[in-house]
Amino acid sequence: MTDLKLYKTIDATSENCAGPIGELSSALNDAYVGEAVAIILGDDATRDDILVWAKRTGNEVVENTSEEGRHRLVLKKVK
Amino acid sequence: MKNVLVAGGGLGGTIVANRIAQKLSNEIENGEASVTVFDKSDMHFYQPGFLLVSMGAMEPQDTQIMERSVLDRRVKFLSGDSGSITKIDADNRSLTTADGKSHGYDQLVLSTGSHLQFDEIPGFAAGADTFFNLEKAKEMWQKVRSFEGGKIVVDTAMMPHKCPVAPLEITLMLDDYFRKKGIRDKVQIDYCYPVPGVFGIPNVNKMMTKIFAERGINVHSQFALASVDTSARKITSKEGESVDYDLLVSIPPHKGAQVIGDSGLGDRRNWVSTDKFTLLVKGHDDIHAMGDTTDIAISKAGSTADYESYVVSHNVAAEVAGTGGMKTYPGSVFCFIATGMDQATYIKFDYSHPPVPPTPSQVYWWSKLAYNKLYWSLHARTMI
Ligand SMILES: Cc1cc2nc3c(=O)[nH]c(=O)nc-3n(C[C@H](O)[C@H](O)[C@H](O)COP(=O)(O)OP(=O)(O)OC[C@H]3O[C@@H](n4cnc5c(N)ncnc54)[C@H](O)[C@@H]3O)c2cc1C
Repeated sequence: MTDLKLYKTIDATSENCAGPIGELSSALNDAYVGEAVAIILGDDATRDDILVWAKRTGNEVVENTSEEGRHRLVLKKVK
Repeated sequence: MKNVLVAGGGLGGTIVANRIAQKLSNEIENGEASVTVFDKSDMHFYQPGFLLVSMGAMEPQDTQIMERSVLDRRVKFLSGDSGSITKIDADNRSLTTADGKSHGYDQLVLSTGSHLQFDEIPGFAAGADTFFNLEKAKEMWQKVRSFEGGKIVVDTAMMPHKCPVAPLEITLMLDDYFRKKGIRDKVQIDYCYPVPGVFGIPNVNKMMTKIFAERGINVHSQFALASVDTSARKITSKEGESVDYDLLVSIPPHKGAQVIGDSGLGDRRNWVSTDKFTLLVKGHDDIHAMGDTTDIAISKAGSTADYESYVVSHNVAAEVAGTGGMKTYPGSVFCFIATGMDQATYIKFDYSHPPVPPTPSQVYWWSKLAYNKLYWSLHARTMI
């Protein structure tokens, strides 16, 4: 993680029309290859959806941690 | 004299300036405070009306009015070169306008909105129709009314965009329009969306997915638009899928205002990093951001800007009058969702309460139209 540049951290713990994947895909669209985007989530189902989405879109999950019911995922843009 | 400057006189800037002027009426009267709105244009556009214009359900001229006429008389208004902001200098608490003048502020509100990017995706400018600005909405209505059959594709290029429910609305309105015209069997409607599902909020997605299936609308998701091929009349996604079209109704990519980027106040898409509760720009205690301008993971909608205006106007007035006591924004959003040419539902939610959309009905459609009418007379003027 030391050399990884974090482009943005998204707080997706609240309701939002684009949905967490909408916010994440938009931030990763603007990130440069090699940079990462962190997203904070409030529930397990969304975390699982994002893990599936990351695999499908080829974004690498470099961090997957949980604290006090909140999950933090860090996705690296690889292509 | 304390100067409150409001950058952008669109939906958010107008409402917040009117509210601030009401709260600071004594200070303004006594010459201790002033409120000034800056906008490039002297016209105020009611953008929600563009959706209805594109389907022939509203007259174009009813979507615009002179900005001065909706501003409180105590609010100063600068437009044209005097109102076009070219640079915001947060260190020196000032902004510069296109006429070369510099304006100092004590409190600054950023409400410069979101802006359509027609040149970001190859082929998009030439091939895509849209209802996201007035000129294009008028053109789209001419194409819709003369459409005799073929493939209509409703494509959302990327997130985020203003009025997140607009792709759902235009799809269901097109479906209903051609049903009522008696030629729905000749019209194929495809819905392409850049994230899984047809909408980002789970229970709205569930409801709309069911309605789309009942109405025979084909869903392509996830479909992140990569290019528009105008000669072959097809769009291709980053995922490698292609869809043919005869009429491409699109939601263009969006960015925050150029001046935000030029002033070093935004991210790569010119969205301003904003605290989701205080609505203060992160790292600044004298710059507030609201409406489409912010990077908050919330809907870019007029109702968002309206709800936020209560918080921002209170906090600005409290700073200027020295009364203290900050309000915070609970994430309130309210949007009608048209589900046809004479029916609608709505979503109402905040940071901690998800929306539960009611069954679509004509009552909500008439409420949506009534709201549009009341906007000029009551809402923008903050009489309600
Ligand atoms: C088709 C469509 C349908 C919609 N339907 C709905 C709906 O049903 N419900 C809903 O709640 N919302 C709806 N919206 C969204 C709503 O219109 C926007 O979210 C709202 O206008 C945002 O307000 P704002 O003040 O942030 O930005 P705007 O209203 O866009 O105002 C920004 C202003 O800033 C000015 N500006 C920008 N840069 C500068 C500069 N450098 N100097 C000076 N001035 C500048 C612009 O000229 C503009 O007047 C819809 C939008 C569209 C396009």
